[in-house]
Amino acid sequence: MAESRTHTHADPRAAAEPRLEDAWRVVVLNDPVNLMSYVVMVFKKVLGFDEAKARKHMLEVHEQGRSVVWIGVRETAEAHVFALQQWHLTAVLEPHEETR
Amino acid sequence: MKKRVEVKLSLPVVAPLLDVIRELSSELEKTLAAPQALHDLDQEFRGAWIGELLEGQNGDLRALLALFDGDFFTEGVVAFDETNAEPIVRACTAYRLQLRERRLKSLGDEALETGDIEMEGLDEPVRKAFMCYLFLATIQELIIQHLDSTIIGT
Repeated sequence: MAESRTHTHADPRAAAEPRLEDAWRVVVLNDPVNLMSYVVMVFKKVLGFDEAKARKHMLEVHEQGRSVVWIGVRETAEAHVFALQQWHLTAVLEPHEETR
Repeated sequence: MKKRVEVKLSLPVVAPLLDVIRELSSELEKTLAAPQALHDLDQEFRGAWIGELLEGQNGDLRALLALFDGDFFTEGVVAFDETNAEPIVRACTAYRLQLRERRLKSLGDEALETGDIEMEGLDEPVRKAFMCYLFLATIQELIIQHLDSTIIGT
């Protein structure tokens, strides 16, 4: 994900920023009701995505049933999940486990 | 200058759908349209979380219902602007989710998604609910197409 941050020991910010194993991810699940244009708009508004990125994640949700839209510290992840739920998207918080 | 979109609706078509919308509003007063899995939150926090979502949802529904005030029944016109666009778009989704869950299950998700449904073959309550489902989607599309980026602020 573009929003996730990977750190090396050479990065002076590393000590102040969360380790990847402490990271949480925000996952949006598919639903049969929301319009594609609506989901794109919500991604742009809530997550600050540009049109292309919003469409990419929308299609991922539509075709694969889920899309990881954000990875990072828990507090921010919770805020994103809450905002997405305010727009009635089915969004869940998951501990981030590296599978790549 | 504020952007504002006015839409003239057909009163005979829309007025009967408002009965459905009002019923849905009552159902949604204490229920989230999209129940959320909040397993990773402690119980107290979960309660506050749901309470806040519900409060927002009810505010959105009120914004949509306010479109159909006395003036609507004389002019048949509804107006969207920066003050009501976002809550109304969200309210349309809440109502559509509830319609699918409570009134349109028999149609199946695939048919709902494609819209490939023979209206003539539907029972009256389902037909009315489906008309309402399409009407709310049209309102959403109108707002998103005409007001996105200037009003909705993406």
